Amino acid sequence: MAAADSCDGISTSGGGWEKTVTLVSSDDARFEVREAAASLSQTVRRMIRAGGDGGIPLPKVDARTLSTVLEYCNKHAAVPAPAPESSSAEAAAVDLEWFDKELMHVDLATLCSLIRAADYLEVAGLLDLTCKTVADMIKSKTAEEIRQMFGIQNDFTPEEEEQLSRENAGVFE
Amino acid sequence: MAPLTRQRKKALAAAAGPSIAPADRLGALPDDALRRILGFLPAKDVVRTCVLGRHWRHLWKSASGLRIGSAEEPAACGDKLMEFVGSLLQARGGSPLETTPKLNHETNLLNLINPSLVNGYYEPDINRWIRHAVMCHVRVLFLGFSRTLHWFEVVSLPLVSQHLARLVLFMLELNGNFLDFSSCSVLEQLEIDHCRLQSVNRISSQSLKSLSIIGFSVLACSFHTQIRSPNLISLHMECITGRAPVLERMPSLVEAVVDINLSQAKKLVLSANIEMIIFRRDLIWCPIFSNLKTLLLNEYWCVPGDLSALACILEHSPVLEKLTLQLFCEGSKSKVQIKGSPDPAKRSTAISEHLKIVEIKCEVLDQKIQNVLEFLSKLNIHSYSLHFEE
Repeated sequence: MAAADSCDGISTSGGGWEKTVTLVSSDDARFEVREAAASLSQTVRRMIRAGGDGGIPLPKVDARTLSTVLEYCNKHAAVPAPAPESSSAEAAAVDLEWFDKELMHVDLATLCSLIRAADYLEVAGLLDLTCKTVADMIKSKTAEEIRQMFGIQNDFTPEEEEQLSRENAGVFE
Repeated sequence: MAPLTRQRKKALAAAAGPSIAPADRLGALPDDALRRILGFLPAKDVVRTCVLGRHWRHLWKSASGLRIGSAEEPAACGDKLMEFVGSLLQARGGSPLETTPKLNHETNLLNLINPSLVNGYYEPDINRWIRHAVMCHVRVLFLGFSRTLHWFEVVSLPLVSQHLARLVLFMLELNGNFLDFSSCSVLEQLEIDHCRLQSVNRISSQSLKSLSIIGFSVLACSFHTQIRSPNLISLHMECITGRAPVLERMPSLVEAVVDINLSQAKKLVLSANIEMIIFRRDLIWCPIFSNLKTLLLNEYWCVPGDLSALACILEHSPVLEKLTLQLFCEGSKSKVQIKGSPDPAKRSTAISEHLKIVEIKCEVLDQKIQNVLEFLSKLNIHSYSLHFEE
């Protein structure tokens, strides 16, 4: 009953009637999304359960980031095909993988905003996807390359650096 | 120059604007997210991050995943790798491989793949790593040894873990009680791929929801491996050889892809309580059990008023010789035994032409049993003996 309060409407998508919820970004933009998609966020799912009027406020996520997060959720919570033939299931998986890849074609600032949003909203799949994307950027790079790419300051003193390289002599071959 | 604090650095970076010094984007992320990022890196890359800056100095030791050896690191080999992993694990100490328990995805992972471990020399070490990972509360454990024809032998003692949720075993020789998961209370997914299980008596787990045995895995040849997993929801057995396993009661099973080269199976015991609607859908793709000679089914295959699942499985068993229907009873204790056989003059095309005997074991001869008998008689299978136990 309480849960129904935060459900603002019903929309048709995929041929059926579906419950929707409204999410409100930090900059007051309103997004109406299918409940199934919004529920990929554990944070939102808990808030739907708790109920409330006038949409679910998400004060830590701005509109631009939220729209990307919802793009991910909508795609990943798509209605499964009624007849799960193995070939179409495989095609769907390939399609999803391609979608994820495309979604990650963003600049570093956006990527980091997405990580923070996925962490706050607890969208496990998106958090893994974004973290893995950053990991792939780090992979096989030298320390200096990584510092430059991400704007990390080397704040070690020369003494510390020397100590570090002694400690890690075995590890770096 | 005095080292900058993180805050001052951020303030400076912000004041200077991105054109002069880009803000430390990663530094602005929560440490848990950074640990997760590090968890996706191969072990060598993870260790290297300790020199990036002060904040990174010790972060790698608590990365949420550990990937030792991978397809991307084909050069890792022998003693050097062993030494590296030894010091890596020592540095990590007991750091949990589980930083955010609320999210159970592929992040908490020990990924052991090494192509060059071609002899048993390192087996004690690797078995120690497995124990270490379990000690660090690993949630997802991937054990695999690829690109070698050597099946790495896993120690036979069962794992003990309150955290392990998913276990993937690839190219391993599994022995003894290793597949007894009675001490892994939250294990839900088990995937056995390209493994040898010839000496495994039993795969058992109370918590397991999904089990797949695939990829030319070899089951025991001289006895039937028992699968005791009462809470299983999904069972996937494909391309396996050896004797068909005996599936014990699985009252929650809703999905079973038994695309068995069990089509090679000679004897199949299916006594699962399967949600018929879902299973019937799957039966449209029911494989041909081309070698199946003995089949034992229980009451769940004979829902009153709808015996289409039974009809389907019979239609797909072209060399079946003996069918046993064990209905609402424990087989050995059944009070009523009915035997029947197809009418040789009017054989139905919907059943195996080799079918010689149909046996029904039950407690009482009630309406449900009558329905089954009617179904059989439509297939021109008539009973010739009725036996009541005292």
